[in-house]
This record gives sequence, C-alpha cells and structure tokens, in this order.
Amino acid sequence: MFDTSWMTRWQSAVNTNGPMSWLGKHLTADVLLGFGEKQFVVNFRNGKVASFTDQLGPETCYQLALKAPAESWAKFCEKMPPPMYNDIWAMAHPLHGRLQMEGDQKVLWQNMRAMFWAFDRMREV
Amino acid sequence: MAKIEPIVGRYIWVTYEGTEYRMYFEEAGNPNGIPMVCLHTAGTDGREWRHQLCDEKINKDFRVIAIDLPRHGKSIPPYEWYQENEEYKLTAKYYSGIIMAFTKALGLEKPVIMGSSMGGNICLHLARDYEDEVSALIAVEACEWSPGWHLDWLRHAHIHGGEVCATSVFGLMAPQSPDKYRWETWWYYSQGGPGIFKGDLYFYSYDHDFRGQTQKLSGKVPIYYMTGVYDFACTPEMTEEAARNTKNSECIIMEEIGHFPMSENPEVFNRYLYPVLEKIVAAAK
Repeated sequence: MFDTSWMTRWQSAVNTNGPMSWLGKHLTADVLLGFGEKQFVVNFRNGKVASFTDQLGPETCYQLALKAPAESWAKFCEKMPPPMYNDIWAMAHPLHGRLQMEGDQKVLWQNMRAMFWAFDRMREV
Repeated sequence: MAKIEPIVGRYIWVTYEGTEYRMYFEEAGNPNGIPMVCLHTAGTDGREWRHQLCDEKINKDFRVIAIDLPRHGKSIPPYEWYQENEEYKLTAKYYSGIIMAFTKALGLEKPVIMGSSMGGNICLHLARDYEDEVSALIAVEACEWSPGWHLDWLRHAHIHGGEVCATSVFGLMAPQSPDKYRWETWWYYSQGGPGIFKGDLYFYSYDHDFRGQTQKLSGKVPIYYMTGVYDFACTPEMTEEAARNTKNSECIIMEEIGHFPMSENPEVFNRYLYPVLEKIVAAAK
C-alpha cells in the first residue's frame, strides 16, 4: 500500500471519475502526501492527477503537505473507515492530531470540495 | 394521490431586546401534545429536523416544532444587518434569549428543547438560566467545551463559502449513514448565509465554555445527552465527561452515526430517541 503502483491506481481512479471532471475544474495545485515514511508530491492540473513523484529534492516544490502515519491513512482508505479516520478533518482536528497540515492552507480551503473528493477515491484502489 | 407531508410552516414576529425578528418555524404532530422545540446546528436551518417532524411515533405525543434562528433558513436577519459594525457572532446570551423569546411568543408552556451541536451545547445554558421555563432538554452532540471551529477561512473573499462550509462538516457524518441523507445535509450547509456558519461557531467554540460550571446545575431539568461515535467535534468521551458532571442526566452513545444524527440517518437516530421521549411522556403524566 502507498507505493508507486498504488499511487498509479489512485491516479487512474481520480482521472476517470465522472464528477471529478467538473468538480475539479479549478483544482491546480501541488500537494505533498506523507504516508508515514513514504512521501509523494502530487501535481493536480485542472482536476486531474497529472503526475506524481517520490523523488523529492531541493527543486521539488509543493504548496501544501498532508502528513500522517501510514496506519492512519490505511484506516482512512478502508471501505468503511472507523471513527476519527473517515475524513481529513477528522484526522487533522487539533483535538486529535492524527494528520498534520503544513504549508499554504488557503490552497486546501479553496479546493476542499475537489481535493477531498479526490482523496475519497483512495477507497476505490 | 401525491404524498404530502404533515409539516406546516409559518412566520412569527418575535421581539427580543428591542428588536423585532421575523422568524420562520415548522410544526407537525399533536397540537395538544407536549411542545418540543428543535434547534438546528450551526450555519443551517430547521430542515435538519424534517424526519422527526414527519415521524408518526413522535407526532403522537408531541407538538414538534423546528425553528430557523434569525439569519438562518427562512428567518431573515434584523433589518439593519447590512450596517452592523461587527461581523456576526452568536453569543450564549443572545442564543438562549431568542429561543425563549420564541417559545413565549408562540405561547408554549414549559417546552422540551431538543438541539444538536450548538443546539445541544445551548441546552446547558438553558438548564442554568431558564430551568423554570423548560421541562426537559435533549442535548444532541453536546459537551462542555468544543474548541477549534471559529475559523476565518469559513468567510473569506477568496473561498467559496457554501461549498467549504458544507465540505468541512461532511466528515462529521458516519460512512454508514445513507449517502442520500448525507448529501442532503451537505446541501443544507452549502446554502447558509455568508458568514453565518462562522458566526455561529463563535458561540460553539468560544462563548460556550461550561467547564467547571456543569457541576453547578441544579438538576431540576433532566438532560438527555445523545452523541454519535463518528462525531470528531464532540466525541463520545467529551459528552460522557459532561454527563458525569451533570445531575439528573442520562448519556446515550449512538453507534454508526455522526454529528447530524437527525438528518444523516433518521432511522437509526429515531430508534435511540424513542426511549428518551417515552421517559419524557411518562414524567409529564
């Protein structure tokens, strides 16, 4: 889970999703997803996952990072996630702190509908 | 013949602290039954209670009333709202005051108040300040303190307020709840007035802080706490703590349901609610 092969399947789930084609019209952002030790920068372009990379170097730019233990993401990805793991905010709420947000949070708030819809496709992988 | 629900909506003019408010409310049920006023959650309106308004079992013994607070749903703001010097912030004093002003205006005798989220939290204030004017309180998704929600992002010129208010609360609902009802709840949230959800959350996360005060409630009015396990804003642990500190209370933790139980999964919620209502009916006899 959360390797390149998994990411490729998630990319396909997002890019072939019907509602995402109009929900994501204005979603263009670079987001780092941290699954424990494994990190990917995902390049959203007009609602599609145009590319992603785990080769992070000094020239890798991203606007926002969402980092959580792999175990937390695994629960998030279950078909019926358990309480406190079913949503990004459920994991990120300050009371619970299971997911850390870093960077420009305005990007998240501006694109929340499309981004969260894209993350929910992880349950289809 | 087309299906027509029993709900009827009307407008009532309520005066509170020198200001007149045109408030919308819906009702159904037994006109001679126990009056029960249902309070919606932050940023939305009485549509959340439509399933309980239409429930035959509930309607048998209760006159079920769902209100829209001023600035919510069909209740317009006060006429001078556009000239206000401060952005809207709901306070405990105003919130409890306008609720009781409504009950007086409608001529309700010691109603039951059932509220969810901020509507649940205000039950603690009603228990303290209006214990002679209510007969029972059903505090759904309620706790003593619920920080972290009064965020500027919820009213921001660069952010779509409707979609962000709705999407930010979607995860508070359980994945087991029917999609059609979860997305209906999302829809309600997407339609709130600008800055209203944020303003309500001022009460929810700042003005409401009952820590150290719950123990001082007299216990004259029974409080029924009901919280869903998927609620990450008011967790079961937070509600249990409040209930432990409350005299004459009961704590019900609801499985496979979240922060909007009455609208996200009415079938499950109503099953938990019926025994509470039976106790209230028994106490009234």
